[in-house]
Amino acid sequence: MNVFYFSSPSTFYRLAGAMAPWFFGLAVILAVAGLYVGFVQAPTDAVQGEVYRVIFIHVPAAWMSMFIYFVMACYGAVTLSFNTRLAAMMARALAPTGAMFTFVALWTGAFWGRPTWGTYWVWDARLTSELVLLFLYIGFIALANAFEDPRRGDRAAALLALIGVVNLPIIYFSVQWWNTLHQGSSVSFKGTSMHVTMLWGMLLMAFSFWMYAIGAALVRCRNIILDRERRTRWVRAMA
Amino acid sequence: MSGFGWAFARDFTLAWRHPGETLLTLAFFALVASLFPLGVGADPQLLARIGPGVIWVCALLAAFLSLPVLFASDYADGTLEQMVLSPHAMAGWVSGKIAAHWMISGLPLTLLSPLLALQFGLPADAIGVLMAALLLGTPVLSLLGAACAALTLGARGGGTLLALVALPLFVPVLVFGAGAAEAAAAGLSAAPHLSLLGAMLIVAAMGVPFAVAAAIRIAMD
Amino acid sequence: MDHQYYLWMSYGATAVALVAELVALRLGRSRALRTVNEERDLEAQD
Repeated sequence: MNVFYFSSPSTFYRLAGAMAPWFFGLAVILAVAGLYVGFVQAPTDAVQGEVYRVIFIHVPAAWMSMFIYFVMACYGAVTLSFNTRLAAMMARALAPTGAMFTFVALWTGAFWGRPTWGTYWVWDARLTSELVLLFLYIGFIALANAFEDPRRGDRAAALLALIGVVNLPIIYFSVQWWNTLHQGSSVSFKGTSMHVTMLWGMLLMAFSFWMYAIGAALVRCRNIILDRERRTRWVRAMA
Repeated sequence: MSGFGWAFARDFTLAWRHPGETLLTLAFFALVASLFPLGVGADPQLLARIGPGVIWVCALLAAFLSLPVLFASDYADGTLEQMVLSPHAMAGWVSGKIAAHWMISGLPLTLLSPLLALQFGLPADAIGVLMAALLLGTPVLSLLGAACAALTLGARGGGTLLALVALPLFVPVLVFGAGAAEAAAAGLSAAPHLSLLGAMLIVAAMGVPFAVAAAIRIAMD
Repeated sequence: MDHQYYLWMSYGATAVALVAELVALRLGRSRALRTVNEERDLEAQD
């Protein structure tokens, strides 16, 4: 089968429509499992009490905010290298979801920081770079929509995403490079220092958010396809 | 690198003949920096503490305001298209334009900064570090700003779109630049900050011209 | 407990954000379909 079969908007539209419900379904199942593990099975923290359970949203949202930007930048690279339309549409489809997760990470971080550190916000390395990431998402969306010609917007935003992707390692490693208020990484490839049920809760929620992000991006991409391809025969026949 | 040479000479000569833009940038820099003591009060300790950050933010804003002149007029009258069609490598003459832009915006800011630092009551060694940080950081601002200016050529939303796109990318330069001067004022070593600024400058100088060239090509299509 | 407030604000804001996004997706689809139909009707008049 031709691997580029689904790179045409019309075939991808049908594929995305078939796949999206499965991803949303998986997201719900994983979220139920994750929240069960997080609230029923995971024990009360010795130091923080119950409020630490924000971690089951905060960390997965932060992971997704960075991961989605990385995928957006990859689609941007594909757009610039191969001059395709669909890669650019997927990048545009991902951006609002990524911005949403970035906002959730910042918000839940603030509401976790207040009871534990005593403050909603502090200008340390990780929080600042996460805030910058939110502005990078907003800049991407604004730039993509700033031109009469949508293809020009596609390519300009793709290049901006690639320039901004340098920010991602800074966020990720900022906690190691600076001894600041934000807690250091508890999870790495070598192992983890946290209780295993807490880890499972976090991982399940992370996968849930991942499935949700894919589903949302597929649905949004369908909307973008409908709008961009509105003058084609297949769209008009279907609407 | 003959492309660099003629682009630099052209842009610098044009700016030299119209010194108004450079002077305007400097005036804006000094004016905004002077607004802060008026706004927050004249407490010398407070001013000395916020001085590095304020001067850096003003440098960012002044650099950002001078960005449109980099490509806008050449884009409007077709000169940019002629440059793109020339046989010279784009990264070469793009670097020349950016270097000339820095000479008329970032460099004068750096040279004026000691005066503003004195206004804020910064100690002498902090002033030296501030100048060094600006010397390393303003070229990075010119480079990153040039990429954003090229990306937003002919876009709706004009200056505010450029601000939204460029200022987040400026943030690491601001953090380390102001941090260097603050460290020096506190008696600590500013070497880590300055090293990171130097590293940013090297990476930006090597990579960003190619990104700017790509952005101009996108704008030309 | 005081901490319940922070948990509710966090999970609540997340739920609101997710619902808002899904609603926006629905609205986006209806708007796209409406644009398609309008343009088709406009061109049919030519």
